[in-house]
Amino acid sequence: MIWRVIPLTVNKASVNMAVDSAILDEVSAGRSPPTLRLYRWKPSAVSVGYFQSVNDEVNIEACREMGVDVVRRITGGGAVYHSYEGEITYSVIIPEDYEGMPKDIISSYELICGGIIKALNWLGLKAEFKPVNDITVEGKKISGNAQTRRKGVILQHGTILLDLNIKEMFNFLKVSKEKISDKLIKSVEERVTSITSITGVKPDFAKISQLLIKGFSESLKFNYTFNGLTPIEEKLTREYDEKQFSNREWVFRR
Amino acid sequence: MSKAELKVKGGKLVKCRLDVEEGYIKNIKYTGDFFLHPEEYIEKLENSLTGAAASTEIIKNIIEEFFKKPEITLIGASPEDFVKVTLSCLEAYK
Repeated sequence: MIWRVIPLTVNKASVNMAVDSAILDEVSAGRSPPTLRLYRWKPSAVSVGYFQSVNDEVNIEACREMGVDVVRRITGGGAVYHSYEGEITYSVIIPEDYEGMPKDIISSYELICGGIIKALNWLGLKAEFKPVNDITVEGKKISGNAQTRRKGVILQHGTILLDLNIKEMFNFLKVSKEKISDKLIKSVEERVTSITSITGVKPDFAKISQLLIKGFSESLKFNYTFNGLTPIEEKLTREYDEKQFSNREWVFRR
Repeated sequence: MSKAELKVKGGKLVKCRLDVEEGYIKNIKYTGDFFLHPEEYIEKLENSLTGAAASTEIIKNIIEEFFKKPEITLIGASPEDFVKVTLSCLEAYK
Protein backbone atom coordinates (compact mmCIF):
# COMPACT_ATOMS: atom_id res chain seq x y z
CA MET A 1 0.00 0.00 0.00
CA ILE A 2 1.37 3.40 -0.99
CA TRP A 3 1.10 5.89 1.84
CA ARG A 4 0.47 9.57 1.56
CA VAL A 5 2.94 11.89 3.25
CA ILE A 6 1.69 15.41 3.88
CA PRO A 7 4.85 17.49 4.27
CA LEU A 8 5.32 20.02 7.06
CA THR A 9 2.43 22.48 7.32
CA VAL A 10 1.86 25.32 9.75
CA ASN A 11 -1.65 25.82 11.15
CA LYS A 12 -3.51 27.10 14.13
CA ALA A 13 -4.32 24.56 16.84
CA SER A 14 -7.96 23.92 15.98
CA VAL A 15 -7.09 23.31 12.32
CA ASN A 16 -4.28 20.93 13.22
CA MET A 17 -6.67 18.81 15.27
CA ALA A 18 -9.46 19.10 12.67
CA VAL A 19 -7.15 17.82 9.93
CA ASP A 20 -6.45 14.67 11.96
CA SER A 21 -10.18 13.99 12.38
CA ALA A 22 -10.87 14.66 8.70
CA ILE A 23 -8.16 12.25 7.57
CA LEU A 24 -9.32 9.66 10.11
CA ASP A 25 -12.82 9.74 8.58
CA GLU A 26 -11.52 9.36 5.05
CA VAL A 27 -9.10 6.56 5.91
CA SER A 28 -12.04 4.87 7.64
CA ALA A 29 -14.17 5.26 4.50
CA GLY A 30 -11.36 3.74 2.43
CA ARG A 31 -11.07 6.87 0.29
CA SER A 32 -7.71 7.99 1.66
CA PRO A 33 -4.56 5.90 2.03
CA PRO A 34 -2.60 5.49 5.27
CA THR A 35 -1.19 8.91 6.00
CA LEU A 36 1.77 10.51 7.75
CA ARG A 37 1.61 14.23 8.31
CA LEU A 38 4.04 16.67 9.89
CA TYR A 39 3.03 20.03 11.27
CA ARG A 40 3.77 23.00 13.47
CA TRP A 41 1.49 25.25 15.52
CA LYS A 42 1.14 28.94 14.78
CA PRO A 43 0.40 30.62 17.07
CA SER A 44 2.07 28.40 19.68
CA ALA A 45 -0.58 26.41 21.52
CA VAL A 46 -1.41 24.21 24.47
CA SER A 47 -3.22 20.97 23.77
CA VAL A 48 -4.89 19.08 26.59
CA GLY A 49 -5.77 15.39 26.65
CA TYR A 50 -9.34 14.20 26.11
CA PHE A 51 -9.89 13.62 29.84
CA GLN A 52 -8.07 16.61 31.26
CA SER A 53 -9.60 19.63 32.92
CA VAL A 54 -8.54 22.76 31.00
CA ASN A 55 -8.78 24.88 34.12
CA ASP A 56 -6.59 22.47 36.07
CA GLU A 57 -3.91 22.28 33.39
CA VAL A 58 -3.79 25.56 31.51
CA ASN A 59 -3.11 29.12 32.56
CA ILE A 60 -5.89 30.48 30.33
CA GLU A 61 -5.18 34.08 31.27
CA ALA A 62 -1.50 33.86 30.27
CA CYS A 63 -2.45 32.12 27.02
CA ARG A 64 -4.95 34.84 26.17
CA GLU A 65 -2.42 37.59 26.91
CA MET A 66 0.26 36.04 24.76
CA GLY A 67 -2.04 34.86 21.97
CA VAL A 68 -1.39 31.18 22.68
CA ASP A 69 -4.19 28.88 21.46
CA VAL A 70 -5.79 26.23 23.66
CA VAL A 71 -7.28 23.08 22.17
CA ARG A 72 -8.64 19.77 23.45
CA ARG A 73 -7.41 16.64 21.69
CA ILE A 74 -9.47 13.54 20.91
CA THR A 75 -6.63 11.50 22.42
CA GLY A 76 -5.94 10.94 26.10
CA GLY A 77 -2.67 11.80 27.81
CA GLY A 78 -1.27 15.01 29.19
CA ALA A 79 -1.11 18.71 28.38
CA VAL A 80 1.53 19.73 25.84
CA TYR A 81 2.94 23.14 25.06
CA HIS A 82 3.47 23.27 21.30
CA SER A 83 5.99 26.03 20.80
CA TYR A 84 6.11 27.26 17.21
CA GLU A 85 9.90 27.48 17.31
CA GLY A 86 10.69 24.53 19.52
CA GLU A 87 8.75 21.48 18.44
CA ILE A 88 7.41 19.45 15.55
CA THR A 89 4.31 17.28 15.62
CA TYR A 90 3.39 14.24 13.53
CA SER A 91 0.26 12.19 12.98
CA VAL A 92 0.09 8.64 11.67
CA ILE A 93 -3.37 7.57 10.52
CA ILE A 94 -3.83 3.94 9.48
CA PRO A 95 -6.54 1.27 9.47
CA GLU A 96 -6.52 -0.87 12.63
CA ASP A 97 -6.15 -3.98 10.49
CA TYR A 98 -3.08 -2.59 8.71
CA GLU A 99 -0.63 -5.41 8.05
CA GLY A 100 1.81 -5.90 10.91
CA MET A 101 0.06 -3.45 13.24
CA PRO A 102 -0.37 -5.00 16.70
CA LYS A 103 -3.87 -5.09 18.19
CA ASP A 104 -2.26 -4.38 21.54
CA ILE A 105 -2.15 -0.62 22.03
CA ILE A 106 1.20 -0.35 23.82
CA SER A 107 2.89 -2.56 21.20
CA SER A 108 1.48 -0.37 18.46
CA TYR A 109 2.81 2.74 20.21
CA GLU A 110 6.22 1.12 20.23
CA LEU A 111 6.07 0.18 16.55
CA ILE A 112 4.98 3.65 15.42
CA CYS A 113 7.45 5.39 17.77
CA GLY A 114 10.17 3.34 16.06
CA GLY A 115 10.15 5.90 13.25
CA ILE A 116 10.96 8.75 15.63
CA ILE A 117 13.66 6.72 17.35
CA LYS A 118 15.36 6.11 14.00
CA ALA A 119 15.25 9.82 13.15
CA LEU A 120 16.74 10.72 16.53
CA ASN A 121 19.42 8.06 16.16
CA TRP A 122 20.47 9.55 12.82
CA LEU A 123 20.97 12.85 14.64
CA GLY A 124 23.29 11.05 17.03
CA LEU A 125 20.86 10.67 19.94
CA LYS A 126 20.43 7.38 21.77
CA ALA A 127 16.64 7.35 21.90
CA GLU A 128 14.55 4.65 23.55
CA PHE A 129 10.86 3.83 23.76
CA LYS A 130 9.56 4.17 27.29
CA PRO A 131 6.13 2.58 27.78
CA VAL A 132 3.40 3.67 27.76
CA ASN A 133 3.81 6.54 25.36
CA ASP A 134 7.15 8.31 25.69
CA ILE A 135 10.53 8.39 23.97
CA THR A 136 13.51 9.21 26.15
CA VAL A 137 17.15 10.11 25.59
CA GLU A 138 19.55 9.61 28.52
CA GLY A 139 16.48 8.88 30.65
CA LYS A 140 14.81 12.20 29.83
CA LYS A 141 11.62 12.60 27.83
CA ILE A 142 12.08 14.05 24.35
CA SER A 143 8.83 12.92 22.72
CA GLY A 144 5.28 12.32 23.98
CA ASN A 145 2.72 10.39 21.95
CA ALA A 146 -1.01 9.73 22.15
CA GLN A 147 -3.28 7.33 20.34
CA THR A 148 -6.97 6.86 19.71
CA ARG A 149 -8.80 4.16 17.82
CA ARG A 150 -12.07 5.16 16.18
CA LYS A 151 -14.09 3.91 13.25
CA GLY A 152 -11.59 1.10 12.67
CA VAL A 153 -8.68 3.53 12.36
CA ILE A 154 -5.63 4.21 14.53
CA LEU A 155 -4.66 7.85 14.94
CA GLN A 156 -1.37 8.37 16.71
CA HIS A 157 0.02 11.84 17.07
CA GLY A 158 2.97 13.08 19.02
CA THR A 159 5.53 15.74 19.55
CA ILE A 160 9.29 15.90 19.25
CA LEU A 161 11.09 18.60 21.22
CA LEU A 162 13.67 20.45 19.16
CA ASP A 163 14.30 23.16 21.69
CA LEU A 164 12.92 23.71 25.15
CA ASN A 165 12.23 26.86 27.08
CA ILE A 166 11.00 25.65 30.44
CA LYS A 167 10.13 29.12 31.75
CA GLU A 168 8.01 29.79 28.70
CA MET A 169 6.34 26.37 28.94
CA PHE A 170 5.34 26.89 32.57
CA ASN A 171 4.00 30.31 31.80
CA PHE A 172 1.18 28.50 29.96
CA LEU A 173 0.91 25.15 31.71
CA LYS A 174 -0.52 25.47 35.17
CA VAL A 175 2.00 25.52 37.90
CA SER A 176 1.56 28.31 40.39
CA LYS A 177 3.90 31.27 39.84
CA GLU A 178 5.75 30.58 43.09
CA LYS A 179 6.52 27.10 41.94
CA ILE A 180 8.39 28.31 38.86
CA SER A 181 11.41 28.49 41.08
CA ASP A 182 14.92 27.47 40.13
CA LYS A 183 14.28 24.23 41.96
CA LEU A 184 11.30 23.26 39.79
CA ILE A 185 13.12 24.27 36.61
CA LYS A 186 16.00 22.08 37.68
CA SER A 187 13.73 19.10 38.31
CA VAL A 188 12.04 19.56 34.91
CA GLU A 189 15.49 19.78 33.30
CA GLU A 190 16.24 16.42 34.88
CA ARG A 191 13.14 14.86 33.31
CA VAL A 192 12.69 16.56 29.93
CA THR A 193 15.14 17.26 27.15
CA SER A 194 15.32 18.42 23.54
CA ILE A 195 17.47 17.80 20.50
CA THR A 196 19.20 21.14 21.05
CA SER A 197 19.94 20.41 24.73
CA ILE A 198 21.74 17.22 23.76
CA THR A 199 23.49 18.02 20.51
CA GLY A 200 24.01 21.73 21.10
CA VAL A 201 22.60 22.41 17.64
CA LYS A 202 18.98 23.09 16.72
CA PRO A 203 18.13 21.04 13.64
CA ASP A 204 16.21 22.98 11.02
CA PHE A 205 12.64 21.95 10.37
CA ALA A 206 13.39 20.71 6.85
CA LYS A 207 16.09 18.40 8.15
CA ILE A 208 14.08 16.92 11.00
CA SER A 209 11.06 16.49 8.71
CA GLN A 210 13.13 14.60 6.17
CA LEU A 211 14.56 12.32 8.88
CA LEU A 212 11.12 11.65 10.38
CA ILE A 213 9.65 10.73 7.00
CA LYS A 214 12.56 8.38 6.33
CA GLY A 215 12.33 6.95 9.87
CA PHE A 216 8.60 6.24 9.73
CA SER A 217 8.78 4.80 6.22
CA GLU A 218 11.54 2.40 7.26
CA SER A 219 10.06 1.31 10.58
CA LEU A 220 6.52 0.93 9.20
CA LYS A 221 7.89 -0.37 5.86
CA PHE A 222 5.96 1.80 3.44
CA ASN A 223 6.48 3.58 0.14
CA TYR A 224 4.88 6.96 -0.22
CA THR A 225 4.01 9.90 -2.39
CA PHE A 226 3.77 13.49 -1.22
CA ASN A 227 0.28 14.88 -1.36
CA GLY A 228 -2.07 17.32 0.33
CA LEU A 229 -5.61 16.93 1.66
CA THR A 230 -8.37 15.78 -0.68
CA PRO A 231 -11.27 18.18 -1.31
CA ILE A 232 -13.48 16.07 0.99
CA GLU A 233 -10.85 16.24 3.73
CA GLU A 234 -10.61 20.02 3.26
CA LYS A 235 -14.36 20.30 3.74
CA LEU A 236 -14.36 17.96 6.76
CA THR A 237 -11.48 19.97 8.26
CA ARG A 238 -13.53 23.16 8.11
CA GLU A 239 -16.48 21.37 9.72
CA TYR A 240 -14.47 19.79 12.52
CA ASP A 241 -12.68 23.07 13.16
CA GLU A 242 -15.88 25.05 13.45
CA LYS A 243 -18.10 22.51 15.21
CA GLN A 244 -15.61 20.87 17.51
CA PHE A 245 -12.08 22.15 17.98
CA SER A 246 -12.85 25.90 17.89
CA ASN A 247 -15.96 25.36 19.95
CA ARG A 248 -15.56 26.52 23.55
CA GLU A 249 -17.94 23.82 24.72
CA TRP A 250 -15.56 21.15 23.44
CA VAL A 251 -12.44 22.89 24.72
CA PHE A 252 -13.89 23.51 28.18
CA ARG A 253 -15.99 20.38 28.53
CA ARG A 254 -13.81 19.05 31.36
CA MET B 1 -18.27 19.38 45.88
CA SER B 2 -15.45 17.12 46.91
CA LYS B 3 -12.18 16.48 45.07
CA ALA B 4 -9.53 13.80 45.21
CA GLU B 5 -6.58 12.86 43.08
CA LEU B 6 -4.38 9.85 42.78
CA LYS B 7 -0.95 9.61 41.18
CA VAL B 8 -0.59 6.10 39.84
CA LYS B 9 2.86 4.69 40.59
CA GLY B 10 4.79 4.73 37.33
CA GLY B 11 1.59 5.83 35.62
CA LYS B 12 -0.75 8.70 35.23
CA LEU B 13 -2.88 11.02 37.29
CA VAL B 14 -6.56 10.30 37.96
CA LYS B 15 -8.70 13.00 39.52
CA CYS B 16 -12.29 12.79 40.73
CA ARG B 17 -14.79 15.49 41.55
CA LEU B 18 -18.24 14.70 42.90
CA ASP B 19 -21.32 16.04 44.60
CA VAL B 20 -23.44 13.98 46.96
CA GLU B 21 -26.99 15.01 47.79
CA GLU B 22 -29.11 13.16 50.33
CA GLY B 23 -26.91 10.11 50.13
CA TYR B 24 -26.82 9.85 46.35
CA ILE B 25 -24.20 10.95 43.83
CA LYS B 26 -25.53 13.98 42.03
CA ASN B 27 -22.56 14.75 39.77
CA ILE B 28 -19.30 13.02 39.13
CA LYS B 29 -16.43 13.79 36.82
CA TYR B 30 -13.09 12.09 36.22
CA THR B 31 -10.16 13.99 34.76
CA GLY B 32 -6.50 13.24 34.23
CA ASP B 33 -3.83 12.19 31.75
CA PHE B 34 -4.71 8.47 31.60
CA PHE B 35 -5.85 6.69 28.43
CA LEU B 36 -9.25 5.08 28.14
CA HIS B 37 -10.35 3.51 24.86
CA PRO B 38 -12.99 4.19 23.59
CA GLU B 39 -12.67 7.67 25.13
CA GLU B 40 -16.41 8.37 25.19
CA TYR B 41 -16.85 5.60 27.74
CA ILE B 42 -15.74 7.97 30.47
CA GLU B 43 -19.14 9.62 30.15
CA LYS B 44 -20.81 6.22 30.37
CA LEU B 45 -18.97 5.53 33.60
CA GLU B 46 -19.93 8.94 34.99
CA ASN B 47 -23.55 8.39 33.96
CA SER B 48 -23.72 4.99 35.57
CA LEU B 49 -22.47 6.46 38.85
CA THR B 50 -24.79 9.45 38.77
CA GLY B 51 -27.79 8.72 40.96
CA ALA B 52 -26.09 5.79 42.68
CA ALA B 53 -26.17 5.53 46.45
CA ALA B 54 -22.97 6.93 47.92
CA SER B 55 -21.97 3.67 49.58
CA THR B 56 -18.54 2.11 49.33
CA GLU B 57 -19.83 -1.28 48.22
CA ILE B 58 -22.18 0.05 45.57
CA ILE B 59 -19.67 2.46 44.05
CA LYS B 60 -16.91 -0.13 44.06
CA ASN B 61 -19.19 -2.60 42.36
CA ILE B 62 -20.34 -0.21 39.63
CA ILE B 63 -16.78 0.79 38.74
CA GLU B 64 -15.43 -2.76 38.75
CA GLU B 65 -18.30 -4.05 36.61
CA PHE B 66 -17.90 -1.14 34.21
CA PHE B 67 -14.25 -1.87 33.45
CA LYS B 68 -15.06 -5.55 32.76
CA LYS B 69 -16.64 -4.56 29.43
CA PRO B 70 -14.52 -6.35 26.81
CA GLU B 71 -14.35 -3.36 24.45
CA ILE B 72 -12.60 -1.20 27.08
CA THR B 73 -8.85 -0.68 27.39
CA LEU B 74 -7.57 1.41 30.27
CA ILE B 75 -3.90 2.45 30.12
CA GLY B 76 -1.82 4.24 32.76
CA ALA B 77 -4.26 3.50 35.56
CA SER B 78 -6.28 0.50 36.79
CA PRO B 79 -9.96 0.04 37.68
CA GLU B 80 -8.79 -0.15 41.32
CA ASP B 81 -7.28 3.33 40.96
CA PHE B 82 -10.68 4.61 39.86
CA VAL B 83 -12.27 2.88 42.85
CA LYS B 84 -9.68 4.35 45.23
CA VAL B 85 -9.91 7.91 43.99
CA THR B 86 -13.71 7.80 44.02
CA LEU B 87 -13.86 6.43 47.55
CA SER B 88 -11.43 9.03 48.84
CA CYS B 89 -13.64 11.64 47.22
CA LEU B 90 -16.66 10.15 49.03
CA GLU B 91 -14.80 10.24 52.35
CA ALA B 92 -15.37 13.98 52.44
CA TYR B 93 -19.09 13.34 52.85
CA LYS B 94 -18.80 10.95 55.77
